[in-house]
Amino acid sequence: MIVMRAPDKTMTCAEFQETLPELFESQSGLTDHEHLTTCENCAALVRDLEYIASQARLLLPIHDPSPAVWDNIQQALRQEKPGSSASAARK
Amino acid sequence: MAGPTQPRPANQHLRRNPPIAGEQEAIEKAREGDGRAFETLYAMHKRRVYSLCLRMLGNVAEAEDLTQEAFLQLYRKIGTFRGDSAFSTWLHRLAVNVVLMHLRRKGLPQVSLEETLEPSQDDGPRKDIGARDLTLSGSIDRVTLERAIENLPPGYRLVFVLHDVEGYEHNEIAEMLDCSIGNSKSQLHKARMKLRDLLRTGQRKEQIA
Repeated sequence: MIVMRAPDKTMTCAEFQETLPELFESQSGLTDHEHLTTCENCAALVRDLEYIASQARLLLPIHDPSPAVWDNIQQALRQEKPGSSASAARK
Repeated sequence: MAGPTQPRPANQHLRRNPPIAGEQEAIEKAREGDGRAFETLYAMHKRRVYSLCLRMLGNVAEAEDLTQEAFLQLYRKIGTFRGDSAFSTWLHRLAVNVVLMHLRRKGLPQVSLEETLEPSQDDGPRKDIGARDLTLSGSIDRVTLERAIENLPPGYRLVFVLHDVEGYEHNEIAEMLDCSIGNSKSQLHKARMKLRDLLRTGQRKEQIA
């Protein structure tokens, strides 16, 4: 939990947010950042962006292609010339 | 604090590409031209490849076409698979390349490499009254997030899907998209900001309704 302190006079919100892409990539850059202890808006922004990234990592493959895709693949493979087959690619 | 500040697992691809029983045998047989074995590989990996295509493209017809193309390329190239990485990782990268080739033919939806990180009206923080009570934490379900990703501008969607969903690192994405690592980071950040905006707008509409 972030406890709000007196406003950060060393960095504006715009300046802080310009550094965000790099801060997100560093392992500890955000955790103890001075600006986040004094700015509720930016703290909320960071929480939201972290939440979005964490939820995205949970998205699993859930969509299946229609059966027509395999039918088309089979049809295309029947038309493949021998020189472009899997065994030819290995040679 | 959970999220992107934590170290990303080094075996992110392994987590998403766990070994599959019978896969190695199917690979060996498919390399010899065994059609049944190739069909087995298709059954094992079709969902993963198609989901990737669909998320990168946001279009069912294109995603199915490119899934087909990815597996045709697999058939042609499986003999070149050396086992240096997991088969699924190799196939996944092949599928990403198929999608990127397709997008390049259409005109890859990238933004200029000269783009700065300066927050624009679209991407910057909103300080409107009442915004603070709309925090996203704990409020997004999978369907809502999937829909928001579909609505991202194509360039943002590409980087977001590759990094946050698929687990590629910025150096890998920069190589794939032929851009700088800084540009990849910038695009990802803007994609997350845009998603936040889309998700909060959706929340506001739900509240009004």
